[in-house]
Amino acid sequence: MQGYVHSIETMGLVDGPGTRTIFFLQGCPLRCAYCHNPDTQKRVGGQLMTPEEIVRTASRYRTYYGEEGGVTFSGGEPLLQGKFVYQTLKLLKAEGYNTCIDTSGFGNPQYYPLIMPLVDTLILDVKAFDQQSFKDLTFIDGFEIYIDFLKNLDHYGFDGQIWVRHVMVPGLTDSKEAMERFVRILRPIRNKVDRIEILPYHTSGVQKYQELGIPYRLEGVEPMDKDRAKELEIYANKLFAEDLRKERAEQEQRRIEKFRQLKEHEVASPDEKAEMFEILRGLPLLSDVDEEDVEAVLSEVIVANIKAGELVFKTGDAPDFMYLIYEGQMKIFVNTMDGEEQIFYIYRDGDFVGGLNLLVQTPYRYIGQALTDCKVVVIPKYTFDKYFWDSPVVLRSVLVKSFERIRWAEELIQRLSTSNASMKTAGLLLKLVKRLGVETDDGIRLELSMSREELGNYSGLRRETITRKLGEFKELGYIELEGSRVIIVKDLEALESYVM
Amino acid sequence: MKENLFNRDEMAKAWEGFIPGKWSEGIDVRDFIQKNYNPYYGDASFLEGPTENTTSLWNKVDEMIQTEVRNKTINVDLERFSGIDNFEPGYIEADKEVVVGLQTDEPLKRIMNPYGGFRMLKNALDAYGLEMDPELEAKFTEYRKTHNQGVFDAYTTEMRKVRTVGLLTGLPDAYGRGRIIGDYRRVALYGTNYLKEMRMRDKENLTGPATEDTIRLREEFSEQIRALDEMTSMAAKYGFDISRPARNAQEAVQWLYFGYLAAIKENNGAAMSLGRNTAFLDIYIERDLKRGLIDERQAQELIDQLVIKLRLVRHLRTPEYDQLFAGDPTWVTEAIGGMSLDGRPQVTKTAFRFLHTLTNLGTSPEPNMTVLWSDDLPRDFKEYCAYMSIKTDSIQYENDDLMRPIYGDDYAIACCVSAMRVGKDMQFFGARANLAKALLYAINGGRDEIRSDKETGEPMLVLPGIEMNTQEVLDYDTVLDNFKKVMDKLAEIYVNTMNTIHYMHDKYAYEAGQMALHDPFVHRYIAFGIAGLSIVADSLSAIKYAKVKPIRNEHGIAVDFEVEGTFPRYGNDDDRADEIAIKVNEYFMEALRKHPAYRNAEHTLSLLTITSNVVYGKKTGATPDGRKKGEPFAPGANPMNGADTMGALASLNSVAKLPYKKVNQDGISNTFTIVPSALGKNLEEQVTNLTNILNGYFNRGAFHVNVNVLDRELLIDAMENPEKYPNLTIRVSGYAVRFNQLSREHQLDVINRTFHEAV
Repeated sequence: MQGYVHSIETMGLVDGPGTRTIFFLQGCPLRCAYCHNPDTQKRVGGQLMTPEEIVRTASRYRTYYGEEGGVTFSGGEPLLQGKFVYQTLKLLKAEGYNTCIDTSGFGNPQYYPLIMPLVDTLILDVKAFDQQSFKDLTFIDGFEIYIDFLKNLDHYGFDGQIWVRHVMVPGLTDSKEAMERFVRILRPIRNKVDRIEILPYHTSGVQKYQELGIPYRLEGVEPMDKDRAKELEIYANKLFAEDLRKERAEQEQRRIEKFRQLKEHEVASPDEKAEMFEILRGLPLLSDVDEEDVEAVLSEVIVANIKAGELVFKTGDAPDFMYLIYEGQMKIFVNTMDGEEQIFYIYRDGDFVGGLNLLVQTPYRYIGQALTDCKVVVIPKYTFDKYFWDSPVVLRSVLVKSFERIRWAEELIQRLSTSNASMKTAGLLLKLVKRLGVETDDGIRLELSMSREELGNYSGLRRETITRKLGEFKELGYIELEGSRVIIVKDLEALESYVM
Repeated sequence: MKENLFNRDEMAKAWEGFIPGKWSEGIDVRDFIQKNYNPYYGDASFLEGPTENTTSLWNKVDEMIQTEVRNKTINVDLERFSGIDNFEPGYIEADKEVVVGLQTDEPLKRIMNPYGGFRMLKNALDAYGLEMDPELEAKFTEYRKTHNQGVFDAYTTEMRKVRTVGLLTGLPDAYGRGRIIGDYRRVALYGTNYLKEMRMRDKENLTGPATEDTIRLREEFSEQIRALDEMTSMAAKYGFDISRPARNAQEAVQWLYFGYLAAIKENNGAAMSLGRNTAFLDIYIERDLKRGLIDERQAQELIDQLVIKLRLVRHLRTPEYDQLFAGDPTWVTEAIGGMSLDGRPQVTKTAFRFLHTLTNLGTSPEPNMTVLWSDDLPRDFKEYCAYMSIKTDSIQYENDDLMRPIYGDDYAIACCVSAMRVGKDMQFFGARANLAKALLYAINGGRDEIRSDKETGEPMLVLPGIEMNTQEVLDYDTVLDNFKKVMDKLAEIYVNTMNTIHYMHDKYAYEAGQMALHDPFVHRYIAFGIAGLSIVADSLSAIKYAKVKPIRNEHGIAVDFEVEGTFPRYGNDDDRADEIAIKVNEYFMEALRKHPAYRNAEHTLSLLTITSNVVYGKKTGATPDGRKKGEPFAPGANPMNGADTMGALASLNSVAKLPYKKVNQDGISNTFTIVPSALGKNLEEQVTNLTNILNGYFNRGAFHVNVNVLDRELLIDAMENPEKYPNLTIRVSGYAVRFNQLSREHQLDVINRTFHEAV
């Protein structure tokens, strides 16, 4: 097994997080008018390397990687050499390398399901925002293929973060209107988008066309004004954040809908509920509910009758409810990539599920299905927050009960959490605003007692990641930094958009 | 027994609050530091800005420096010669100075030092249209002989020859050798009386047969004792009694500076480094802070003002010297950070304070800030250093993890990259051999490719006994065999030349003041150097992996080369080329070691060219790697410009392979320049990325790196409009320079070097 490697850049500092070794692979089906590496378009060329040689080369630069760095495959279109990339990623992952693929989404689809689970960061080049422009720019009528690629990333098992990039050419996409279309395209992947970058078109690649004797289609087009590109980048990021906020609102809508549905399943009368509740209070989870709160709790919980085979919750459901099984059996499973059902647990009377999700605010990452007819007590999040949250007994109960699930849950949360670095950083800043924000004429001033290291620990991010995100937020105009200990929040709304 | 010179009560008073140890029973500064310093793990947020007095002093000094640079005029004391106590006290503005003392009675007034070489001094004065007191000249030339005269009395014909053609260049045979670091901390910790008493005892105890060595040592001890008296007297003229130990932080800074001041009044060595002082001073500062005697602002003021003084250090040089070492450098090198042997970082708040002077006073080439990097340094300190590099281009980094196992945890850096234990080691500095030229000698039968014999008109035969190569296509083994023979011969001459120089330097220009601040019996290094290693590696690689055809002139001398095919170049992390560099290095080191050194010194070897890479280039013909006649060498151990095709880290990895311990143990210099946009999208990312690059590089076993973060366009603009960038500082090989002070040729060389950019 060998791949065609056009060239290697050992110090990639802007193509993926941290310090990266970039392998430029040969071959690209697109013929982008502005392509500044036309010599990588041919499928054959450069040097032949085995996956082992790639890993060996990368290993020479591993000491430089820090917490976030690693290996990037760029091109060309790296996904075109799907098998080679897959084999190499497998080796890299086995040795714990952080991986990144810089793609335009036009590769060898049969390898996508194998490759995507092995990718930590996807740099996604968005060429154009509609079919005609896409064709004009790339010579390929592939806009739909591209959109499908985006939509299917989840199905391919991609669970990393995405850096979106767009090369802005004057006269083509340098408008606010274009940015609006740009952000709309990102909807299917918005929970994974960690960064949106506009790269201003430049003409330094033109010389290569002369050397290769290929006509240059953008002859006479001026380089993109960098300040204007920056402005539009900030605009696109803002739009994107607003879009996120809208999605959160939609989620809320879905929660209400689900509550309505569960309510329809409600079987027990208030009296029956009270009786059941007395029995359930023998469980530690409910033992600490104050006598005077019982009635209020009873009025808020739902006792739903679930028929065998019905789904109680599914992957991606927001952590809006937890479930306590009163009667019957429920299985917890996921569908693996090859269509197999992977069952984690069978829960029985007295078991509960979702407590941890409510606590750590992560969506359900698995499916709950009634194995037999079940009676399930559904506890909404607001009820949980109101009556259970501050009870040490409840918390301990959730933790103790969850103990055996914690190890994989942790891993899962870390790997699958839809809360990306942007959201975590924004969330952290908002928490800090609440705790120590001082209103000033310049914005909300945060004087921190924590170092970057501690900030990172606090928000569940690595030091280098939080540093990078703060840098980005600064560039986007959301915040200003004064030394290492002062943050001035300039745009509270933008931050809120990430975490509403 | 007679009474001690020093007073125990004085010492007890000065040491109150310090944890005693071996250091309080005898001279042992390291022990004092280890017992009393506290590492600082935090970030830079505690730092304070400059006081009004500091700013006012600096503005005044800065204006004077700018005027000097702009007008290219200098001020010299023409009435007297160098000496520890030969000058009246001088001030910038006495009532604002918390640290006092100048080399002469005025800031920037330079000293005439005739002992290295009288002609050198005369030439320097002539170049600036100055004339020394005629009586002084008459007396000196009548009664005194200099180091330079001594050396030339003892040089052989072949030594003169290799010097003339430029096989050996930059030898310290006409100027001060420098590269000696006095342990200036001893003045603060013990006071001069105690040091004097100890040295007197050393002398008393030096008994036995009166061999040449013993006689010399006794004479040196006496010189040192006199130097301590002069130091005391010099400080007294400023109103301070340094015969007793320092009692507080201000005195500690002042005493230490007086020790250093004595060195730069007495000597004009190429590099007059300061040592490793931040943890030491931090102990005094912390004690004063705890006692409520000073606050952070005042602590910073002490360091700021010490640094102002260090920025004022000047020596009188000839224009030729400045051509070789561009930018009037003085190498006031301060080593900062590193780890202690017990695993604690030697990073204190004063390490931060020292670097912070670059913010408070603005950037400047001196003092030469040298961070001793270890994987284990606190991350906050690493990031602060990276941040300051990005902002100021004024810091160099050296690998403490490589040096600590050899030198322990109280070594410092002399000049650019030469490590030595403070107060225990010294060095005989010896410039460098041009191995690129030596390779041409291997092809041209020991004849020079540029110079011809004045009488015969034939190419000058410098190293007889080397066979002339007549091959149409050069054969690797043949060339390598001859190259080894050339290196053998050159090594022998090199060692003998160095022995001659340092014998005479000890005799005629002995550094009594600095040696008084050493242990009585020091370990000596003799430091050789190589220039042109990357050219040698690329050239041999070309001969081995491609076809190299010499183009010969009528005398059979290869004056140019035709290269067919491709070959691996040093700088791409390609072992085929990098191994050649390593092998050549090792061979030359072994060849040097075969010849015993003066005073049993230990042989070491550096890869460091300072800025002389331009001059070396001028004196060297075309080389088989495709470099044309006269084109500059790469500086230090850097790969040749444009040789790297794999990006910067491959280039760093190649350099990291060069062997430090026992081979290039006098240092391996590498300069790394990157444009800001390639380093990361914003300052935060840039700091993280630079920190990780430094970590990665040193964890690959590398020794040194200069870091510049700047755009080529900025330098071009600075070259065209110098007034816009009065203080623009950049790192070159092993030191920093004010860009405006470089000649246009050097500026172009810097601009043409590799800038690592985004792909």
